Amino acid sequence: MNKYLVCVSLLAVALLSGCGSSAKYVETGSRRSVVTVGQINIQDYNQAAEAMINSLLASGVLDRVPDPPAILAISRFVNNTSEQIDIDLLVKKIRVALNKSGKAVTRTTWGLGDTAEDPLAKELEATAATTAGRMADFTLSGKFIETTVHAGRTRQSTFSFQLSLSDARGLAVWEDEKEITKQGTRPSIGF
Amino acid sequence: MKNNFCCRLSDGIGGLNVINHVKLLSMALLAAGLLAGCHTGSVNTVERAEPVARRQLIVDKRISHDPFLKQKLGIVAVNQATTPAGLLQIQVEILNRTSSYMRFNYQFEWFDANGMRVSTPASTWVTTQLEGGESKFLTGVAPTPACQDFRLKLIKSIN
Repeated sequence: MNKYLVCVSLLAVALLSGCGSSAKYVETGSRRSVVTVGQINIQDYNQAAEAMINSLLASGVLDRVPDPPAILAISRFVNNTSEQIDIDLLVKKIRVALNKSGKAVTRTTWGLGDTAEDPLAKELEATAATTAGRMADFTLSGKFIETTVHAGRTRQSTFSFQLSLSDARGLAVWEDEKEITKQGTRPSIGF
Repeated sequence: MKNNFCCRLSDGIGGLNVINHVKLLSMALLAAGLLAGCHTGSVNTVERAEPVARRQLIVDKRISHDPFLKQKLGIVAVNQATTPAGLLQIQVEILNRTSSYMRFNYQFEWFDANGMRVSTPASTWVTTQLEGGESKFLTGVAPTPACQDFRLKLIKSIN
């Protein structure tokens, strides 16, 4: 009888411990990722970056520099959405892709308001004086915009990712926009 | 007595017929309403009868593990080009064979001359939609000039 009780208890403990957690790993940006209407999800950044990288590489604009690879500097990004955004969720993906393509490298010692992404590299650069008058061939700037509408219980959010690549003359030599629209319904009961 | 019983019986049968008709009519109206709600219309297109552009079509190999997706989502053609920067560009034309709206995910993978997969942030799952009867072009640009081959993955969306 005692053995039977112990077995049942162990089985119950095993079952309970197995059911206790619903956390699991999923592939980032896959169809198993959580989707919300009023927020930019990680898959939205991924999809926007994918579209921008494809567009920028296909344009061939990065090859129009006298001494490839092109040097890129990151300029201002305006966030006109309702949430706080770390622009590197989009920009870093673009930088990595361009770097791996061999078409462009990013200057990490030059930023808005004399702020360097890598201060130590800036000191090294000052010591070595390697720039030789070529700070950047292009600057990358952009804007994130959110448009939200409601109709009955249906909510819709559109996130626009707008990017511009300007050359040393101040001309936007490449521009593109990716819009991501999501719809969902509010529960009829609840807050 | 017998007549009364017959009258009541016939009234009863007549009543049942009326109820059946009402039920049938209601069901027909409901079905019509549901069908009207489900059928949102398919896409009609018009284009040049003899296109000027000549696509460089490639011979493709298709492996399907989802017969339902294969039945609904047709791959019309695959063509390739080279960008001004010398990167391989692939365009896959897909067609929604149904009359219903459908959503699916796709991802391009890229391989170098040795068949090794080239990792890039641009290789991510993308969600897209098709109206009934609509065709769309999925375009991928190779992340490096070293990329020689590609693979397109398609999967039904759950969101």
